[in-house]
Amino acid sequence: MSPRLTLPALFASALLLSACASQKAPATADVAVSQAAVENAAQAGAAELAPAELTSAREKFARANQALKERDYKLASELATQAQAEAKLAQSKATSAKATSAADAVQENVRVLREELDRANSANK
Amino acid sequence: MKKTFTQKTVTPLMLSLVLAVSACSSTPVTTSTLDQARSDYTAAQNGAVAQHAPNEFKAATEALNAANTAAANREDLSKVDQLASLAKTKIATAQEVARTRLAESSLSSSKQEQERVRLQARTAEAEAARRNAEQAQRDAEAAKARAEQATAATRDAQAQTQALAAQLAELQAKQTERGMVVTLGDVLFNTDQAVLTSGGMSTVQKLANILRENPDRTVLVEGFTDSTGSTAHNLELSQRRAEAVRAALAQMGVERNRVETRGYGEAYPVAGNNTAGDRQLNRRVEIVLSEAGKPIQARR
Repeated sequence: MSPRLTLPALFASALLLSACASQKAPATADVAVSQAAVENAAQAGAAELAPAELTSAREKFARANQALKERDYKLASELATQAQAEAKLAQSKATSAKATSAADAVQENVRVLREELDRANSANK
Repeated sequence: MKKTFTQKTVTPLMLSLVLAVSACSSTPVTTSTLDQARSDYTAAQNGAVAQHAPNEFKAATEALNAANTAAANREDLSKVDQLASLAKTKIATAQEVARTRLAESSLSSSKQEQERVRLQARTAEAEAARRNAEQAQRDAEAAKARAEQATAATRDAQAQTQALAAQLAELQAKQTERGMVVTLGDVLFNTDQAVLTSGGMSTVQKLANILRENPDRTVLVEGFTDSTGSTAHNLELSQRRAEAVRAALAQMGVERNRVETRGYGEAYPVAGNNTAGDRQLNRRVEIVLSEAGKPIQARR
């Protein structure tokens, strides 16, 4: 290594190190947030109503956790962000499925009621 | 060109050249994931997702902008892909949230609709119940009226029957299997003549009253004599006496078609013909009163 290159190399190393240190806390927070998101999705019934999304979110969360242990904070943060987004998708998918089936059920009930009413009306005529 | 460089210098130099070329390229970087994210985003925009899920749509927009910026800055393809994938997920989330809002608003309007239909059903039920009650009331009134009519009719029939029985009793009518029979004795006719005495007329008047009050009854007037005299004379006399009764009844307002006559002469005696008293019994007119609406059986 030529002396000419030593200074920039050192500088770069320092930057890298400081980056690693400053990334630890936010990555840990990101992973924690993604865990909460995965748990919320599971509670919303995503295991049944959005199984693919929930599985993917869990897998990304596990990998983020692993990256955190290996001190790869950048990867941990990225995976946690993805896990959180996918968990949110799983949760909103489960919620929309429930809302849709609730709306459908009431609509069906209205249809049946209307049919009964029409029958009763024509019987009374 | 390669040949002019030593093996040591070739690789780093080539790498830097490739990097320089790619950096200077005017072709924007994209990936299939980014293309998908952009098309998903356009679909979401067209589906009014921004309106129903503004926060999620904003997050999705920011994520897509980040991916687009990375692509415009020609960042690492895997980085672009990763941001694009994130954007896709957020766009899908915004879609699901919008879907939830729509379902919730549909649910709320369906519930209102449900209440309306239930109310209509209850109104219709009440209306039907009211109509049923009214019909039942009408039925009950009609049944009562019919019962009253039937009672009145029974009462009338009983009264008529009683009146008839009393009238017939007055005429000393006798019940036979052919009907009630009123016998006009010889004394009600002038001797050997077909002319009713005033007593006979009075009896016939009573009979006419009965027939007028009982329009569904008819009479058969049968004339008989004793065995004195020729058979032909007796037949003719008995027929004339029967006819005299019919004529009297007609005079009193009884239609002729309700009165049939027969002259039997000396047939069917009710007593011997040996004594004057018995012969007088045989000289008679019998009037058979039909049952209501029924014909009178012929004499056997």
